[in-house]
Amino acid sequence: MLGKLDWSAIPFDQPIPLIAGAVVLIAILAVLIWVVVKGHLPYLWHEWITSVDHKRIGVMYILLASVMLLRGGSDAIMMRIQQAVAYQSQGYLPPEHYNQIFSAHGTIMIFFVAMPFVIGLMNLVVPLQLGVRDVAFPTLNSVGFWLTATGALLVNLSLVIGEFARTGWLAFPPLSGLSYSPGVGVDYYAWSLQISGVGTLVAGINLVTTVLKLRTKGMNYLRMPMFCWTTLASNLLIVAAFPILTATLAMLLLDRYLGFHFFTNEAGGNVMMFMNLIWAWGHPEVYILVLPAFGIFSEVVSTFSGKALFGYRSMVLATMAICVVSFMVWLHHFFTMGAGPDVNAIFGIASMIIAIPTGVKIYNWLFTMYGGRIRFATPMLWSVGFMVTFIIGGLTGVLLAVPPADFMLHNSMFLVAHFHNVIIGGVLFGAFAGFEYWFPKAFGFRLDERWGKAGFWFTFLGFFITFIPLYIAGMLGMTRRMQHYDVAAWRPWMIVAAAGMAVLTIGVICQIVQLVVSIRNREALRDRTGDPWDGRSLEWATSSPPPVFNFAFNPDVRGEDAYWHMKAHAQQQSLERDRPEYQDIEMPRNSPTGFVCAFFATIMGFALIWHIWWMVILGGLGAWATFVVFAWRDHDEYVIPAEEVAAIDRVNLEERRSLISMAGAA
Amino acid sequence: MSDQTHMPAGHDLAPGDEEQHSVGTRILGYVVGLVLALLLTATSFFIAGTDLVWQPSIPVALIVLAIAQMGVHLVFFLHITTGPDNTNNVLALAFGLLVVFLVVGGTVWIMAHLNANMPPMDQIMMRQ
Ligand code: HEM
Ligand SMILES: [Cu+2]
Repeated sequence: MLGKLDWSAIPFDQPIPLIAGAVVLIAILAVLIWVVVKGHLPYLWHEWITSVDHKRIGVMYILLASVMLLRGGSDAIMMRIQQAVAYQSQGYLPPEHYNQIFSAHGTIMIFFVAMPFVIGLMNLVVPLQLGVRDVAFPTLNSVGFWLTATGALLVNLSLVIGEFARTGWLAFPPLSGLSYSPGVGVDYYAWSLQISGVGTLVAGINLVTTVLKLRTKGMNYLRMPMFCWTTLASNLLIVAAFPILTATLAMLLLDRYLGFHFFTNEAGGNVMMFMNLIWAWGHPEVYILVLPAFGIFSEVVSTFSGKALFGYRSMVLATMAICVVSFMVWLHHFFTMGAGPDVNAIFGIASMIIAIPTGVKIYNWLFTMYGGRIRFATPMLWSVGFMVTFIIGGLTGVLLAVPPADFMLHNSMFLVAHFHNVIIGGVLFGAFAGFEYWFPKAFGFRLDERWGKAGFWFTFLGFFITFIPLYIAGMLGMTRRMQHYDVAAWRPWMIVAAAGMAVLTIGVICQIVQLVVSIRNREALRDRTGDPWDGRSLEWATSSPPPVFNFAFNPDVRGEDAYWHMKAHAQQQSLERDRPEYQDIEMPRNSPTGFVCAFFATIMGFALIWHIWWMVILGGLGAWATFVVFAWRDHDEYVIPAEEVAAIDRVNLEERRSLISMAGAA
Repeated sequence: MSDQTHMPAGHDLAPGDEEQHSVGTRILGYVVGLVLALLLTATSFFIAGTDLVWQPSIPVALIVLAIAQMGVHLVFFLHITTGPDNTNNVLALAFGLLVVFLVVGGTVWIMAHLNANMPPMDQIMMRQ
């Protein structure tokens, strides 16, 4: 009846996950009860859960990422403490538990923190920057988000029901095969990623189409803000690379469920093929993450330097070059598997070539700042911090791309330091910069600058205190993923790294405090202009938060930095000139399709993990039926009458006009 | 989204979007596509099982037939043309082909070297 599921699945003998799980469960229940009792449920359902508004979906993506960042961060703290104490002893985490933690940490941080964070920011901002009213496929967008949430839910469920994979974040066979991982851990891993992978693919298709097909009048390709370009590149990579991941995991699952032999040691299977395929997705994946971050830095640096982005066209070229070359380097992740000198040399050189367009970008940002009137607001701090940090990470990457060096450093702590250096210093700093920069746009009030800056400095310093020791430990020969060790020389570095983790934690706390403080002071921090940073692109041309329809009139773009030009040339006039006739606006209706579909997908995923076949059928049918119902819907749009558009737009105009006249008087 | 303002390039057709043709011509297009597709499928099955042709040529023939099949789908069902209204689709197709070429070609190359250098244990024994 319940497949492999019985009471032994609950880890009663392991207090840590059980207590953590219980605390989270109580917290969730408390929030739910609060929501229901306070009567917020209808609001949540109509305004958020079923929303197909790209801005709302973007915010929900970012919320998901932030919550999962706390989960992944807790894993990180536990691992740092373990390695600080486990010198010639077992520490406090038994091996089977430690292995689950590092696997869950990597999986969560890449798939459920970094990915949703950047996808959320792209969703929130790109349609606004393009001057349009929505993304190309609004309901699909909601489906994508909720499927991602399903994946996250399943990974967290493994904490209290069953176990998670002990294989590392990429589940290499034969370790992840049935003979070495008979439990449900790898199944949790694989099904979560299959389901959320569909969500990511959908988001990718949606954003590519949006950039290619929905741009406002005059917004031709070479007038798009840089963030739109990096969004295009990153999502093209999603569309091209994620199917590889899906196919690879599908083969692994066939091995595990139906006795296939794609990646087994016997019957003609080939484990090396898994390495090859997973990295053919894996390397493009790191650029999927970092390209949007590059876009964010471009926006932030140009805004806070008060200058147009230096070398816009070279930036576009560099972005697209990275997009293509990132498909030509994946072997650098398994130089040591033995493909031989010719193959290794070619892929080594190709990897180093990627550093060239990246370098072009760094110089462009520096030249954008050069001679500018720089304001060091929090988003700018993250951007400058990124430039310092990322250069180090990029350099150690190039070092690892030298095959003989990699033979010494592969899978050492040096590698761990490299990729944290680029992912924290690149992706996470970018996500935080974007968060600080666009928060006022999304919610209509700024974030507290003092707590924000404190958050930056603690994170920045904490990062170096944590990860420089890992570089050193790696050069002293320490390998990754060690539950305990006996080498005295590594010990001090592990202790320093743990101390760095404490500093990083303070940084995170500062940012949480920042959010709370800002929400409490929101009246004082209110932004009525819609343009708190003196921005340059179209998202600042509408009010904060923007109305559902974003723009009463689709803006007419005459050049790069569209909004900057509007402001410079005809601000007064364009605001005061009587607007042409307002018109009715059609917007897509909200739809529970995404939520319902994800609900059934969750059931199906859970049932697949535990081999509960009747439930698999139930979940599958449910998800399918949801799509059928959606496909047969009669009307999918509603009309906002012209008067209502006019009313909303006039309030906004009034607000701005009074500000301008105030500025004029001053 | 009905009132979205589109690109200056004007109308760029998505795969599956129809130009203004009469129903007759459209149906004809699909029927021709279907017949071609069925023909290619039938030929593949026939060739795979026959001994009328030189055996080693069979895999090559199957590959050619498969590629032709893809072409038929692209032209008759997905309406990829070389017209100016199709730039995005053609570029997307080119990008897709490039990636497939890189990944498949790279994989074949890598795996050939790996298999040559790193055979399973028992085969190492056998070689010696
Ligand atoms: C100049 C650019 C870069 C070069 C040349 C480079 C090179 C490398 C090499 C050679 C490895 C494999 C080392 C080994 O396993 O022994 C590696 C690992 C890795 N890199 Fe980079 N890298 C670069 C940038 C980046 C960026 C921008 C990111 C992410 C945003 C990134 C993320 C990673 C990750 C996640 C791994 C290791 C994953 C694992 O083994 O679990 N790298 N890099
Ligand atoms: Cu790589």
